[in-house]
Amino acid sequence: MSKDRSLPQRVTVVNVERQSPTVKLLRLAPVPWRPKQRGAPLFHPGQFVMVGELGYGEVPLGALSPPTATDYVEVAVRKVGNVTGHLHTLASGDSVMLRGPYGNGFPLDRFTGKDVVMVTGGCGIPPIAALVEHIIANREQFGRVSLLYGAKTPDELLLKKRMKEWQRHDITVLTTIDQPAPSWRGPVGFVPTLIPNARVNGAQAVAAVCGPTPMVRALASALNGIGITNERIFVSTERAMHCGIGKCQHCTIGDRYVCMDGPVFTLDWLEKCWDG
Amino acid sequence: MANLTIRRDTVEGLLTALREEYDVFDCRGATLPFKQYLFPPEQEILKATRMGKTQAAKPPRAMVLFGLDRRDLEALAQLDVIMAKPIEDVPYWKRRKRAIVIGIVEDDGTTVPSGDVVFRETTNRAYRVETNSERAQRFVRAWKKFFQTAKGSTDEKTGPRAQAANTADWSAGMDELLAQPELLANAVEWSHDHRIWDELAKRCLGCGICTYVCPLCYCFATEDRVGLDDICRRCRRWDACTLLNFSRVAGGFHFKPTLRERYYNWFYHKFVRAYREYGKPQCVGCGRCKQNCPASIDIQDVLRTIVRDYEARAV
Repeated sequence: MSKDRSLPQRVTVVNVERQSPTVKLLRLAPVPWRPKQRGAPLFHPGQFVMVGELGYGEVPLGALSPPTATDYVEVAVRKVGNVTGHLHTLASGDSVMLRGPYGNGFPLDRFTGKDVVMVTGGCGIPPIAALVEHIIANREQFGRVSLLYGAKTPDELLLKKRMKEWQRHDITVLTTIDQPAPSWRGPVGFVPTLIPNARVNGAQAVAAVCGPTPMVRALASALNGIGITNERIFVSTERAMHCGIGKCQHCTIGDRYVCMDGPVFTLDWLEKCWDG
Repeated sequence: MANLTIRRDTVEGLLTALREEYDVFDCRGATLPFKQYLFPPEQEILKATRMGKTQAAKPPRAMVLFGLDRRDLEALAQLDVIMAKPIEDVPYWKRRKRAIVIGIVEDDGTTVPSGDVVFRETTNRAYRVETNSERAQRFVRAWKKFFQTAKGSTDEKTGPRAQAANTADWSAGMDELLAQPELLANAVEWSHDHRIWDELAKRCLGCGICTYVCPLCYCFATEDRVGLDDICRRCRRWDACTLLNFSRVAGGFHFKPTLRERYYNWFYHKFVRAYREYGKPQCVGCGRCKQNCPASIDIQDVLRTIVRDYEARAV
């Protein structure tokens, strides 16, 4: 019998970093799985892991560390419920249960050689962050790259330090907040309003998106407006997650599974699916 | 192995003797199908003490599943494939590998889809015994005092199994539908906007009974249980895609908030997603969902309506 891919392993929280009033970054080590080949990345950008604790449960979280980091994996936890409430009590040196990685991640072969625009809001940044790190590690394989990132308030923009670092690697980073705020000098408005400023050639560019359905709809029309068609828009989706191995039926979208075939689907496919 | 038979009046004796060595589950005519022994309503998959020491669940005792009929054997064959591909479901196989399956089917010359040992209803006094694996042969040898080598028998041959006429018609109707899986997949997929789902959503109580009694429904939730014994158990327990919380995520958002969507999804899984994933509809026409539905919903009526309207649709 093979190893049970739905069983977690105990790992240590090696670092905790508060990112916003409701979000913390947890760095977890050692990683309880090996890369597919020696020296290969630990996960594929856009894949997710299950993090939890016995007695509380588990939650699916997009891995946001550089996929090439060999000795840890990092996740962002927004405090919304039972499990995430527990994860917020943890300090460096405590332990959690971890399993993964799951899902397909972004189809990098469709990104290579293209301009890339990444769009997300609030705590949708993790899978996008891993994609940015992959692009930076292989910068010459991609054309012009933009990250458009919005949040309700300046406080809720995550990974601010890393975004500064990304800009030094020829990534255009544009941020916006929903409402004017005293401390904010940047653009104000929902994230689709940034799209016309994306420095990309829409005729060939690909888009990577992570966000709730209403946001994705608004993004789609703005992305279509600069020439990016739905077959070139890759959306990281969310569903209830239990087993992670394509059995339990909680995460289905139409005839596919978010845990196995997703979480990334083309917007074209999602629009045609009754369940998308 | 030579032609073996077992006298019908010694079957109970065999089961009693088997109980010395096995957990024996008699599945004949059971409302909750055999799946409950391979994929229990609640199964511990991991446990930990307060000190944080975790351990995987213990393997179960060897078991005998007795008396699966042809439709159950078909469901078992499918469940074995589902739990093996594309990723092996380890908790299922921990139990499955410990189970000897004995089917009882008519002697109609057809092969059976699964089962280690098969009792064929040849005469009114005895079953003809077939073994379908090395393990089954060892099993029959170990219990040989209950089996006889067949001699030319003068026993009366059994005719077709006695079945109430209406049940027989219903089963034949299901078989006819299930013989066209591509049509069912296309029709159910097409039916998403059909008013039948609005009507069914009004009738359906959202109780989940149809999924619990279905030999091919296998969705589950993973839950942690903390007891007074200071042990935390991670369990998987039967879930049902018709229940409200099935698609709920943290924060309270429901991806399928209406019963209409959830009930459609139940059919969609069985006849569309499953067909595309494994090449067969996940229904064997056993009729348990119909017999046990408190709202008297008949899966065959639903499928016939959809197929009729699909075939008559304006092209």
